Amino acid sequence: MTTHAPSAPPRRRGAYRPPAPIGGRGPLRHSPRHRLTVVAFLAPAIVILTVFVAWPMVSALRLSFTDASGFGREKFVGLENYTRVFTDPDIVSAMGNTALYAVLFTPIAIALALAFALLLNNPLLPLRGVFRTALFTPFIVSLAVAAFAWSYLLDPQIGLLNYWLRSLGIQLGNVLQDPTLAMPAVVLVAVWKSFGFYMVIFLAGLQDIPTSLYEAARVDGASAWQRFRSITFPMLGNTMGFVVIVALIAALQAFDQIYVMTGGGPYGTTQTIVMEIYQSGFRKLELGFASALSYVLLLITLVLSLTQFLFFSRREKDAA
Amino acid sequence: MMKRSLSVLATVGAAALLLAGCSGSSSPAADGPAEITFWHGYTEADGKVLDQIVADFNASQQKYKITTETKTWAVIDDTLLPALSSKEGPQIVAMPAERMPVYADRGAFTDLSDFYASSDSNTADLVPQAVDMVTVGGTPYGVPTGFVPLAMFYNKTLFASAGITEAPTTWDEWVADAKKLTVDENGDGTPEQYGVAIPDHATVANGLWPSLLLSGGGQIVDGDKAAIDSPENAKTIQYWTDAITKDKISPTGLDGIAADQLFSSGKAAMHVGGPWMASIAKDNNIDYGIAALPAGPAEQAASAIGVAMGVTESADDAQRAGAEAFFTYFFQKDVATKWSLASGWPPLRTDIPLSDVSSNPVVAALSEIAPTGRALLPGVVNSTDVISDIDELTQKSVAGGNVSELLSTAQSKIQQAIE
Repeated sequence: MTTHAPSAPPRRRGAYRPPAPIGGRGPLRHSPRHRLTVVAFLAPAIVILTVFVAWPMVSALRLSFTDASGFGREKFVGLENYTRVFTDPDIVSAMGNTALYAVLFTPIAIALALAFALLLNNPLLPLRGVFRTALFTPFIVSLAVAAFAWSYLLDPQIGLLNYWLRSLGIQLGNVLQDPTLAMPAVVLVAVWKSFGFYMVIFLAGLQDIPTSLYEAARVDGASAWQRFRSITFPMLGNTMGFVVIVALIAALQAFDQIYVMTGGGPYGTTQTIVMEIYQSGFRKLELGFASALSYVLLLITLVLSLTQFLFFSRREKDAA
Repeated sequence: MMKRSLSVLATVGAAALLLAGCSGSSSPAADGPAEITFWHGYTEADGKVLDQIVADFNASQQKYKITTETKTWAVIDDTLLPALSSKEGPQIVAMPAERMPVYADRGAFTDLSDFYASSDSNTADLVPQAVDMVTVGGTPYGVPTGFVPLAMFYNKTLFASAGITEAPTTWDEWVADAKKLTVDENGDGTPEQYGVAIPDHATVANGLWPSLLLSGGGQIVDGDKAAIDSPENAKTIQYWTDAITKDKISPTGLDGIAADQLFSSGKAAMHVGGPWMASIAKDNNIDYGIAALPAGPAEQAASAIGVAMGVTESADDAQRAGAEAFFTYFFQKDVATKWSLASGWPPLRTDIPLSDVSSNPVVAALSEIAPTGRALLPGVVNSTDVISDIDELTQKSVAGGNVSELLSTAQSKIQQAIE
């Protein structure tokens, strides 16, 4: 089966054209007064971004080459902090844990989000609005609050989940202190909280796909799976690219529920890079090292995001 | 034109205000008393008494005025660094004593050697172990506001129904009583009631396993050397691992908070905790008793919970003098007694007799066992990593790991942490 995107109608004389930019055809023709107004409107955002984003980033970069503790005494240590990031066994282990978290979280959250989006995009489904709201609600709950609630649910002594499963003859045990189950448990909480958000993005993407494509496919006798594989999935390319990048960035920044539910334990099996940054900075008062670790995480995130961006851009180009 | 000018003016003004909001606070007034800010984490009734002591101090003289700010201990730990580094910090801070060495090592607190050396500072009779907790490399950086050994809390009702009349005094008695108190009614292998709640990580004030190691004759750190890998510690870890996993006297995988909950819900007959367990037990209608931790093969020792206050590097000379004047006032015998009774912790001065605090039965009971108290990792700067290494050792041991291999690993990790 082949499908074609509807071609744009030929442009006619007098057809709608977007208005020219305010103030003339190009920036060179702006008057000084106009430029001042533009600067005045941009100033609050520029000031806020400079003070709260750019300056801390520059400051952290400087700190990453020092042994700063935050109390004034600091000396330049060159690349020592960066060397330690890749040689300290605890940090290397935290990188492995973060990778495992991302590998578990990203595909599960996206698959669930896409599955529910496809289900809830069906106009024949009753109470669609209620289901959408119900699945989106966890996203607006604070992750720390959700983590506390899940900790109680999973508690081996007083937890409801354990109580119910025990009555069915299933012994869940102490999930959060089990080195094999602790990581899946913290991933589960993040998936539960986040997939509703990704689902809403997929729903928006699904609603942008012209129904005429599905109608044509039905006329051609395409099955539901063929329609999904040949229309839905390719047409969701941009949305998928966006969701994958956002989900991966969220995974690399995993902290809240881990801090609340396991504290990085049992014996470091859920210790992620952000947990290490927090402990280095605020527990051991090693701001220089914490800054270096933050920059390494930033670079990892940047490289992965760019790789995915290029992958999805190329795929879109190939599809076109 | 006018509108544009106004919008530009308003924007620039807003930006200026924003930047002004980020700048440092105003300096203390040139005239009048030196203003001192004091952060502490006493959030219950004890906080009100501490605030009253501060108010009494302010009223007792004209040179200094201390203003208290109450935060939780966790918030103090998380905000002190940014506050001090942005010159917005307090001049006096109280914090868990085991956290003070790392701040002192990084230069956040000032040296109090001269204050301690002064004969009229009222520090001569302070509990020495309490001062050890805030001493780094021989230099004291703080003064204690609380020091109490971990104690055993037991449920008298459950004891009576098991026919036990006295709290255990040795490890063997402890385990034997715990076995009697462990009840698996339906025989499914998971007791409904445990004899004791023994966390294997994140224990109360991180002190349960250090207490057991000390009582067994072992150490964690000896000077600047790790000392965890010793035959004494191997015996202790194996003894308690067997009691937990084979005799099932306690659930596995507990942390300190879960252990508190187990005792307060009546599902554990014995629990090792701090003074706050008295009010938790009372709130949960548990008829409780307090006893010293049972003695091990070597001695009867309990890791202590310590809280201390210090003068931060942001204090100028006048503020520092004011802080030291307050410490001197705080350690006056009558004030120290009042503070002990209100906080529920034993007196910080060794020369306050038990009879002076007998009006509060919890303080009296804890004061009796005070001599068993030992400072946890005194002067160890990187206590965070050492505690985490001990947690890993005990958790893995309870999970079935080889004790001698675990001790060997812990030895090298702790040595690395303290270097």
